[in-house]
Amino acid sequence: MNNVSRRDFLKLTTNSLLALTGILGIGGLIRFLSYKADPTPQTEFDIGPATHYPWKSRTVLAYIPAVIIHNKDGSFHAISLTCTHLGCTIEERNFGFECPCHSSRYDPDGTVLKGPAATSLKKLRITKTEDGNLHVFTV
Amino acid sequence: MALLLTLTSLMTSGAQASPQGQATSTSTAQPTPTFDVKRLDPPIISSDNSDQLKKGAAKYWGVCMACHGDVGQGLTEEWKDAFGEEDRNCWQSGCHGPDHPTPGFRIPEDKPIPGLAGPGKLARFKNSQELHDYILASMPWWDPGRLTDEEAWQVTAYLLRLHKVMPENFELTETNASAITTTYAVPQPSDDRLALLTLLGVLTLAAIGLVAQDIRKTKTPLVERPNFFHHLHPPSIPMVQSRLRYTLGAGGMALFLCLILLVTGMLEMFYYIPVPEHAAVSIERINSLVPFGAVIRNLHFWAAQALMIVVSIHLLRVVLTGAYARHRRLNYLIGLGMFVLVLLLDFTGYVLRRHEDIRWALVVGTNLLKTIPWIGDWMYQLVVGGPEPGLSSLERFYTWHIFVLTLAMIILGAWHIFRVRRDGGIAVPPPNQRTDTARISRFDLVRREVKVMLISGVILLFIAMLFPAPIERPITQTAVDIHNARAPWFFLWVQQLLKIGDAFAYGVAVPMLLLIGLGILPYTLPQAAAHEFGRWFPRGNRIAQVVIILIALIITVLTILAILPTTQL
Repeated sequence: MNNVSRRDFLKLTTNSLLALTGILGIGGLIRFLSYKADPTPQTEFDIGPATHYPWKSRTVLAYIPAVIIHNKDGSFHAISLTCTHLGCTIEERNFGFECPCHSSRYDPDGTVLKGPAATSLKKLRITKTEDGNLHVFTV
Repeated sequence: MALLLTLTSLMTSGAQASPQGQATSTSTAQPTPTFDVKRLDPPIISSDNSDQLKKGAAKYWGVCMACHGDVGQGLTEEWKDAFGEEDRNCWQSGCHGPDHPTPGFRIPEDKPIPGLAGPGKLARFKNSQELHDYILASMPWWDPGRLTDEEAWQVTAYLLRLHKVMPENFELTETNASAITTTYAVPQPSDDRLALLTLLGVLTLAAIGLVAQDIRKTKTPLVERPNFFHHLHPPSIPMVQSRLRYTLGAGGMALFLCLILLVTGMLEMFYYIPVPEHAAVSIERINSLVPFGAVIRNLHFWAAQALMIVVSIHLLRVVLTGAYARHRRLNYLIGLGMFVLVLLLDFTGYVLRRHEDIRWALVVGTNLLKTIPWIGDWMYQLVVGGPEPGLSSLERFYTWHIFVLTLAMIILGAWHIFRVRRDGGIAVPPPNQRTDTARISRFDLVRREVKVMLISGVILLFIAMLFPAPIERPITQTAVDIHNARAPWFFLWVQQLLKIGDAFAYGVAVPMLLLIGLGILPYTLPQAAAHEFGRWFPRGNRIAQVVIILIALIITVLTILAILPTTQL
């Protein structure tokens, strides 16, 4: 350290401080840009009385998007219609579902028939409230 | 009652409402003596109006008028005079009562039949798109859904006319209807065609004039004082640097297109509203109402597409002529950065349209960011500004497109052009190895540039007038089935890659590797020697040439595969 001249020392210090300012500034910028201005999207959907979904029926609700299945045994289950590959909403076909973006295919139960999607469609939690309404949870 | 019943049976039996047929049926009703029977005549629409309006008038007169009135007043006491004494209260019994016979239908007593035109009417509809959607889904009252989309537009057009908000000579479509409000009359759109043709003609003549001057020009040297634009150039450059068949003029053309984009983009900003529910509507306004709005938008669109192509050609040219060698490597990297900026600018501009067709491109493009390990979620947040593409993402894309990316483009562009000059201009052999020693003065250079700009300006304007930029219905909350979503054309190859498999590998890693490959090309592969400059396909950098041709080929093939129709099931 002794052979560092006063001039070099000052220069080094100044440059380090400038670099630190830059790093702090970038940190601030990142935090500035990370503010989530939008409200969290809805994750619970009241889809109306269970009686609206007849026995053994499949109902596509595009606004969730999900398909509501009334099983033979009377229970309900719901499958998300969001493609597990990159998030497009899949469309119904005679073999099940197909993604309009990259042509992943699923069978009616949501199992992958053909890639690029690697995982099955998400099963959504569905509950019945006391007043007989069905609630679907996307998370 | 007779009137309503006749009309109803006519319509339900599927008979086409011809004015003559209707006229006889209306004559069977006996209006109250004080009622002016002329009001039951078909409405007169002057012949210079659109077919749509005329058909809408006939439809309204044949079906809707009985209940909604001849001027859209609704079923008022005054209008009931049209039915005569005994039919005034038709919904209490008979054809429209609770016990109506089969061809009749019930008119609800508790819900008055609404007026459709006049102050305060139609206020529940924001714009004519919503009005159309309502009519399509809910009218006529006794048989909703029987109208075709086209018929619903016809009726909408006539309703808007009764309501006095319909512009003259205007054809409503799903791509302009959101711009026509139902609450106030929009300014009458002007017909720009004549003015545009004049502009195109004048510009063409100017271009011809400039070319003609050059043909007649003798070799006498110009003795004029260089102006600002001359001073942006060196006093003279070697003739070999200005050969069009070597440079293809791609760099200069890119600069010209950027200037067009800057000006037209700035003009669009005066009307574009970067708010989700207004964005697409404001584009409809630019496109169909603002004078010259359509041509300005089309120019912006076509200049952007052309820029994408021109910069690709420029990049190919630089590699295929080996011009990036040695000290020009830095400028090659700057150029590559600008190439990426053009891609991002084109993509953000595409998203700003906020049409139905951008939905999946936006979802896929932003979800791809999420797949990046470690920093993915943070990058998604940076770009989208929220948990999903919504309110904030439009604002962000707007800021990226109009300010951040544009500013970066301007800075890199200035640097790029500065470096060209600092590196000794267009790459040519050193002076002692040149066969051609002729030079071209800055005066001639500027002349040439002006000439090329004028000619391409004419072509661009011509294209912008002939081929409209794509416009679709505003995006809605819920997706509708589309069978085949397409990425914007310059990303079709990525979409095709993504069909193979894993999102990160094919959507992020492969394109990034390609980009890195292009970036390190001058640092790893053999380069052209100085004496080989100024020619296509020099021996020195053959490997690099093969690499870039392969990349271009792969991207082209993938793009073609993506365009080919897929099997539909």
